[in-house]
Amino acid sequence: MAIIERPSATPATAGAGAPTFVPPSQAMGIFHRPVATTGWKSWLFTVDHKKIGIMYGVAAFAFFLVGGLEALLIRTQLAAPDNTVLSAGLYNQMFTMHGTTMIFLFVMPMISALANYFIPLQIGARDVAFPRFNALSFWCFLFGGIFLNTSWFLGGAADGGWFMYQPNASNLFSPSHGVDFWALGVQITGIASLTGAINLIVTIINMRAPGMTLWKMPMYTWMILVTQFLLVFAVPVISVALFLLTFQRSFGGQFFNVDAGADPLLWQHLFWIFGHPEVYILIMPSFGIASEIIPVFSRKPLFGYKVMALSGAVIAFVGFGVWAHHMFASGLGPVSVAVFSASTMIIAIPTGVKIINWTLTMWGGKIRYTAAMIFILGMIVQFVIGGLSGVTHAVSPSDTQQTDTYYIVAHFHYVIFGGAVFGIFAAFYFWWPKMFGRMLDERLGKWNFWLMAIGMNLTFGPMHMIGLQGQPRRMVVWPSKLTGDGLFNLGFWNRVASVGSYMIGIGVIVFLVNIYRTHRKSNTASLAPLDPWDARSLEWMTANPPKDHNFDAIPTVHELDEFFHRKYEEVDTEHGPKLVKTTTAEALLAEQEANADEHIHMPSPSYWPILLAFTLPVISYGIIFSIPLAALGGALLLVCAFGWALEPSTAPESDFDPPAEAGPSKELEHVG
Amino acid sequence: MADVAVHTDHAAPDGHAAVGHAAMHTTIPGLSNNKLGMWLFLGSDCLLFGGLISVYMLYRGRNGTGPGPDALWDIPLTSVSSFVLLMSSLTMVLAVSAAHRDEDAKAQTWLSVTALLGSTFVGAQVYEFTSFYHEGLGYTTSLFSSSFYSLTGFHGVHVTVGVIMLLTLVAMVSKNKIPGQKAEAIEMVGLYWHFVDVVWIVIFTLVYLIPT
Amino acid sequence: MSFHRNEQVGTVQDMHSSRSSVARRSTSRRAALAGLGMLGLFLAGCAKDAPQDTFQPAGENARTIDNLQRPVFWIAGVIGVIVFILMGYIMVRYRDRGQSLPEQTHGKMSLELGLTMIPTLIMVGIAVPTMATIFDLAKTSDTECVVNVTGQQWWWEFDYPVQEGCVSGGIKQPIVTSGQMPIPTGTKVLLKIESRDVIHSFWVPKLNGKKDSVPGRTHTLRMEVDEPGIFSGQCAEFCGLSHARMRMEVVGLNQADFDTWATNQLEPYEAPTDPLALTGEATYAAQCSRCHQVDGLKKDDGSLIVSQPELYVVSGAAPNLTNLMTRNTFAGATWDLLTPACRDKVWNASPEEFGALYLKGVTRECLNEAELRDWIRDAPNKKPMYTDPTKLEPSDGKVRGMPALGLNDDQITELIAYLLERK
Repeated sequence: MAIIERPSATPATAGAGAPTFVPPSQAMGIFHRPVATTGWKSWLFTVDHKKIGIMYGVAAFAFFLVGGLEALLIRTQLAAPDNTVLSAGLYNQMFTMHGTTMIFLFVMPMISALANYFIPLQIGARDVAFPRFNALSFWCFLFGGIFLNTSWFLGGAADGGWFMYQPNASNLFSPSHGVDFWALGVQITGIASLTGAINLIVTIINMRAPGMTLWKMPMYTWMILVTQFLLVFAVPVISVALFLLTFQRSFGGQFFNVDAGADPLLWQHLFWIFGHPEVYILIMPSFGIASEIIPVFSRKPLFGYKVMALSGAVIAFVGFGVWAHHMFASGLGPVSVAVFSASTMIIAIPTGVKIINWTLTMWGGKIRYTAAMIFILGMIVQFVIGGLSGVTHAVSPSDTQQTDTYYIVAHFHYVIFGGAVFGIFAAFYFWWPKMFGRMLDERLGKWNFWLMAIGMNLTFGPMHMIGLQGQPRRMVVWPSKLTGDGLFNLGFWNRVASVGSYMIGIGVIVFLVNIYRTHRKSNTASLAPLDPWDARSLEWMTANPPKDHNFDAIPTVHELDEFFHRKYEEVDTEHGPKLVKTTTAEALLAEQEANADEHIHMPSPSYWPILLAFTLPVISYGIIFSIPLAALGGALLLVCAFGWALEPSTAPESDFDPPAEAGPSKELEHVG
Repeated sequence: MADVAVHTDHAAPDGHAAVGHAAMHTTIPGLSNNKLGMWLFLGSDCLLFGGLISVYMLYRGRNGTGPGPDALWDIPLTSVSSFVLLMSSLTMVLAVSAAHRDEDAKAQTWLSVTALLGSTFVGAQVYEFTSFYHEGLGYTTSLFSSSFYSLTGFHGVHVTVGVIMLLTLVAMVSKNKIPGQKAEAIEMVGLYWHFVDVVWIVIFTLVYLIPT
Repeated sequence: MSFHRNEQVGTVQDMHSSRSSVARRSTSRRAALAGLGMLGLFLAGCAKDAPQDTFQPAGENARTIDNLQRPVFWIAGVIGVIVFILMGYIMVRYRDRGQSLPEQTHGKMSLELGLTMIPTLIMVGIAVPTMATIFDLAKTSDTECVVNVTGQQWWWEFDYPVQEGCVSGGIKQPIVTSGQMPIPTGTKVLLKIESRDVIHSFWVPKLNGKKDSVPGRTHTLRMEVDEPGIFSGQCAEFCGLSHARMRMEVVGLNQADFDTWATNQLEPYEAPTDPLALTGEATYAAQCSRCHQVDGLKKDDGSLIVSQPELYVVSGAAPNLTNLMTRNTFAGATWDLLTPACRDKVWNASPEEFGALYLKGVTRECLNEAELRDWIRDAPNKKPMYTDPTKLEPSDGKVRGMPALGLNDDQITELIAYLLERK
């Protein structure tokens, strides 16, 4: 039985019978520190990585729906030639916001959601290294995303494309405030990513359970670690670009003014030095998820663990050296083009290694086709297609035909949507029982998969053709006279793509229906056992959902796939050594509870993260509309920073209600 | 590989150990959470300054009709203020070592001196920029001016934030309000301060010393 | 089916084993069918004769790219098929049929290294010709004719500077045109590409890859046409509101026809004889000539009118209409000056007939009058541009595009009569 105590700061009162009343710590002398563990306050002020992970997930999914709606509007406009569903101005806003939302407000935060929830569990820790910063990251993301989307109602959203090339995105050529909202909104979400990255790196490096060396970490943890390093070094570069953009647009700074002698390619270089690592940031976590799911459902360990880890690191490293392949037509000289063409070809190799290793993991296995597994298999197939089309872009002369056409749109949707997002959905089905104690319905899961997969291939498959046969991207209309002859001309395929996009939408709705049906109170069939998949890593050695403090007793790790090796033992039989299951997750959990740690201190909730995050959009609105408001926001930011710095991470005893006179006190949580 | 057991029976707090819990945590690489976090932050800051320096290097010769570096730089003045900043790194080291030896008063003194030297540097920059402004170099004058002011301005903000942190440390030490590892908090600010100094050496060399 | 937490029930996977084996087989069969179906669709799916098809090179440079891209696509396709067949095999062969836990192999370095060598060698094999092609396409020393290409929102200007090449005997006076760029066939043309405002991109897929037009920089692009014909292109870098309506065409003419074209472009101005056109000339001088240059047009006092679009347009230029009817598209090559029937004749003409048809230009019978009227009446309605006079503060009162001039139908009729003679 473990006792979670609030640490006692009150000195033992010598001799006195009654406890002396110590006034609770107060923020700014006015507000009591939040200590609630239930109710809405416990979510608003939480620093618990699991609650933060869930909030990240819900918010990211909401933005997924927003971005999806924007996509459907785009495809509706492009379903017919010279269509008039969206005006040119609105269309430009639509594709800009679709890309920005999907990348910055859906995939990246959803990756954070899963990483936040599962990294501490996978490494046997109780929380992340900096819990309040973790909360800050989430609130920055949420407020940044909301701020960005208020632009729709405040003069029009950004309309320069998610890549915002200069000088088109300058005041002269994009006069509405949309671009300002974009620059500041992405800047705020950048802060979220950067603080989150530092947090996770420190957590993974410093807080692993005893015995868990780097080579005994789950592969998902490895991939997240590599991804966070990418973020730490890539986000500052886009921050610089965004600062330059904001200072130019709002304060007249001269950075991209061609008349003054500026080189528009400066923006492109800064953007893509971030932008290329960014796409590896999007895909590597899903690579990690694949490396978790495939071994579990093939009943074999990951093939080539060390090679997988190292190839991830190599991809990240080389990923910083390929950015100008986005600029093959931009007027770099042939030497630069040749160098980047070569480096882009090089990066295909460690990526291919991963595909090989997943395939070899399944070889000789005992494969179960659950929803999680088929999502991952779909991810691999689609990523291979996207990756191969990527190789064709590495050939830069060929790329000068392909770039800025629908062939590129096809490529990146195959790798991001077909790859990263399908990996995320696989993670949903895989980890849902651990997070919520219920299993998503497998049958609906398969409908979810097939609708999304067929829809996705119908939408983006034809785009390969459409692009190579001459349709550029970012075009509000396509005319019939450029579509060629025959039934299967570009017009036909544009229509097919639009139909496919609706199918994806239906697939997503099926997913939502699945969630609803699963969580209906009357649905007892969906209640999940502790270890439904007979999995391999530590996060499954916890309750459903895990207790606040994750592990009653921090496990000591002896090998890779520690959890698996605690359940299975090698037994000698007449046919040779065989693996036999000797214990279950339930038994292991009971053992933990019996040997629970005596004192477990958890960090306390806090106001400061949400307050500090709130000042950022205030400053941003101020920069756009009213400098005094920005100054006010800045002052509030300083106040919040001070309040945070002066607040201890764990609340002192006096912050909690004084114990009741009779009976066991309510505040001491007894577990077990 | 783990020579030292990792204690994870409470989540390592951000900068402040839980009240009442005095044990020192040893980690696999030997760096506390706070220090590792600070190193990572400084790593990302390298890229930030790298981006700004690149922009400056690209635009240093594009001063249009406005004044250029040759007309503006007062190398002697800037050398003196750079020296002042360099010295502040020395006093920072002294502050950290005093904190390690639990000599609060000395630590406070050295921290205050560091803050003073840092403020002097910022003051000198303010004076310098004001005189540039009067010589016709505004923020929006040219590509050169915008890049110059942005680069040095970002650095100046970093120094100012550092000064605020130093003064806050002085106050917190006196109120005994840095719970747990006092020395570590001061060390962390020290790391930041040294980083800001090193960046200035790079900026000073590239911006002021290398002729256009 | 309920789960009791503390019972040693085992996993969901075991419980599903018998029920899902049927589902699994049909899952993999459905997967295989879906895959085959898609492949089939893909192969059948090419549009015939798409005007901007990158797989139908009509010039040396596009052919160089096509010769490189085809094998690469084949290699990628073959690799993809091999990977999918392998995966399909594994998915069927190693599915759970109730066998015992498989051998827990952790890896085999020799296998890994071997399998990594194969893609590496393939990459090297692709890289070598790629490097050669990059440098081939960047060559500018062997070109015989230079055309300056300038992009601005939302049209393309082409000017042929004074030089010894292009025309037999050289070009003695610069030629300025827009929308369609005639070049002599079999000639290595060098385009020098610039921009007057934002980044655009010059792309005529059948002739070469694209090259961005970046303000403040000059980029070169090789261009060569095998045979006479007209080749469609589009701006391929997002450039704002009417990016989708910024097109151009390259016109290949054999040397003799090109010489004729060039001579015609520089013929002196002929005042109209038709009375309607004469009135149109006056209307043009009053309304259009502020921005649109017509060489040789005179004011009432006899002095030459020099258009000053730099006073009215942000990008500082408007298309030169001196010889409008020698080309057959307008408004950034977005609309045809020719009726659909006449357009088809020109586009579908054989290489031998093309030159003569093109040089005929636009005649009264072939004029696509309705489109042209719409444009002159209310250009921003047809093609979104920033011309609202109440919203021009960010651009200091200058427009980005052609504003609605408020002309009545009679004026438009006069103008059209005048323009028809601009040949």
